[in-house]
Amino acid sequence: MASVTLEHVKKIYDNKVVAVQDFNLQIKDKEFVVFVGPSGCGKSTTLRMIAGLEDISEGTLKIGDRVVNDVEPKDRDIAMVFQNYALYPHISVYENLAFSLRIRKMDNEEVHRRVCQAAEILGITEYLARKPKQLSGGQRQRVAIGRAIVREPQVFLMDEPLSNLDAKLRNQMRAEIILLRKRIDTTFIYVTHDQTEAMTLGDRIVIMKDGFIQQVGTPQEVFDTPRNLFVAGFIGSPQMNFLKAKLKRVNDEYCVELLGVNIPLDAAKCRKLAEKDIRAKDVILGVRPEHTTVCFDKRPNSIESTISVNEMMGSELHLHVDTGNGDRIILRLPTIDLTDEQRAQLAHGNKLNFTFASKVIHLFDPETEESLLF
Amino acid sequence: MAKKNEIPEVDIVVDEAAGVIREVKPEGDRKFRSKRGHERRVNTAIYVTLVVMSIVWLCPFVFLVLQSFRSYLTEGGGMVNYLLPKQFSLDNYVFLFQGVGFSVKRLLASWQTIALTAAMVLGGGFAVYRMAKKKNIKMIALILALVLLVLFMVCVDASSCNFVQWYLNTLTIALVVATVQTIMVLSVSYALSRMRFRGRKMLMNIMLIMGMFPGFLTMIALYFLLKQMGLTQGGAVPGLILIYCASSGMGYYISKGFFDTIPKSLDESARIDGATRFQVFLKIIMPMAKPIVIYTILMAFMAPWGDYVFASYVAMGKSSSYNVAVGLYRWVNTNDYQGYFTRFCAGGVLVAVPITALFMALQKYYVEGVTGGAVKG
Repeated sequence: MASVTLEHVKKIYDNKVVAVQDFNLQIKDKEFVVFVGPSGCGKSTTLRMIAGLEDISEGTLKIGDRVVNDVEPKDRDIAMVFQNYALYPHISVYENLAFSLRIRKMDNEEVHRRVCQAAEILGITEYLARKPKQLSGGQRQRVAIGRAIVREPQVFLMDEPLSNLDAKLRNQMRAEIILLRKRIDTTFIYVTHDQTEAMTLGDRIVIMKDGFIQQVGTPQEVFDTPRNLFVAGFIGSPQMNFLKAKLKRVNDEYCVELLGVNIPLDAAKCRKLAEKDIRAKDVILGVRPEHTTVCFDKRPNSIESTISVNEMMGSELHLHVDTGNGDRIILRLPTIDLTDEQRAQLAHGNKLNFTFASKVIHLFDPETEESLLF
Repeated sequence: MAKKNEIPEVDIVVDEAAGVIREVKPEGDRKFRSKRGHERRVNTAIYVTLVVMSIVWLCPFVFLVLQSFRSYLTEGGGMVNYLLPKQFSLDNYVFLFQGVGFSVKRLLASWQTIALTAAMVLGGGFAVYRMAKKKNIKMIALILALVLLVLFMVCVDASSCNFVQWYLNTLTIALVVATVQTIMVLSVSYALSRMRFRGRKMLMNIMLIMGMFPGFLTMIALYFLLKQMGLTQGGAVPGLILIYCASSGMGYYISKGFFDTIPKSLDESARIDGATRFQVFLKIIMPMAKPIVIYTILMAFMAPWGDYVFASYVAMGKSSSYNVAVGLYRWVNTNDYQGYFTRFCAGGVLVAVPITALFMALQKYYVEGVTGGAVKG
């Protein structure tokens, strides 16, 4: 149990490729932090630097109050779960779990106690005598986690631990990791490229792209107030819709013009824009599919579009529609209240009107891609 | 044949353009196009060739074994123009071991043998104790066999028996080289496979290219160096050990290929678990690399076992320093070969025995080692 502090941490490879740029983060004791981003964004490299598997090119890394830049991995008191499990294939599950304890010359009784305890937490007691090869993917994953638990480390690192599992097992293991976290209550750093995992697991999410931190915040914060276009598009599924629009200003009142429809902004947003003294300009308007409302009857201020694709998801429909100026956006429509007549209207090629509340709008600068409301 | 003609004859053709497998009616006379008949003829030809080749290949060995059992008393020791001996006997083998002595006292004869004995007993005892803890019966047997072999070698008094002296020389060299070279090759391969350092690529290429030159190109230079150190003739045994071990790291290629196939995350995981690089090597990599370890040991044992070129000039002129290959050759070369030929054959058989036994016992691993390394070699 310890805090982890990264100050201006930078990773430059020998071939001058910069993998991580000026990474600053303070991870509190017992916090669950998720690094998320597309592949190649530097999230794994950052984790491996914390683990000590990669050298830190610049900056300082502290675990607790100790600077560990030049400390060997074995002396950092961390445990790590790898994407491909990295179980030792030639020894039994029991010995896999016991390996780190035996290396530390712990006496046999204590080893046995800890191994059994970890096996019980993870429900792998009956597999202890088996070799890793004889286990299924999910069981191997448990062993890999167990190997980290027995250590009782200060920091728990996980590098895409679920990405080798099939979708169903992944959901199940995700829930188990949440439970596990409650039981062992230590500092977690978790790397994933899956925003769902990031949202469900993390106390705080670190969203990365091209070696830069894009935003750090709680899942709710990054969902509600994305800092830039990338974060807005990355968090949430299906992805946020982006539309070309014009921002208009009348004194301290703002409104957005979209396909000839004027949408006045609410007071809070107007205040923010006014504080930044933003003038009328072209903007990118972002709205999440779940925040749109389909109107089957023509309403004032609704936007007209043509249905292009109709995806049936069971409890909801995803409608891909084309607006008048060439933007393709996705609308989410719960199926529970739909009448047969309405369903018929949703066929490919039909016209459809939709609207959204000004409360849920995000506005981005088309040049800097930064949010105007952050 | 009549029955066969009833089977519809078709060729199976993979049509890549269409991405399907098609059956095509063969053109021409069915009798000559008969697929099964054709296959059988090809197989017959292949097997006949193989049988002839293996007979040709086996001939010298059969000849050698037969001659070694020829009676020296009735038929002499020279070359003859018939293959099967008229009378079988062990005369030649008896001659090889004439004058050999055996005494346990030799274990404590001088400070060197005392040190060796003590090292063997203590080291072996410790190793057996460690393995007994892990209940590793195979390793215990192996260690005991090795310790007993070395102690046995010390006990043998070969001062008045040329052949046994040569045999002991060869065995000593081969055992030491097998140990040292295996350790060196495996550690070099592991380092080259796992660590990244400046000049690694260049080092690998240089070693690879240098390895392509035949070793005896360095013969003259090595001879002078060894002579400076007093490791020729009388000191040929340690001298040869030095030669064989010196450049052994250059044989890294196959085992590095094998190590490359073991995921790096295992190393990383073990290092995070608290292991040092050496512990990773010993506890994680070695048990997984058993085939390549055995392959390396075999190779390291065999090279000095059958070497003639280096052994002949380093030991030149000092009979008690010869290895078996050199000694036996000198029997038929400088002595009257009419008297020594069958003895040479008997010696040859005895040289072949341990290596053949080793091979048969370890063949499974040997093949695994070669092919395992080749996957990503």
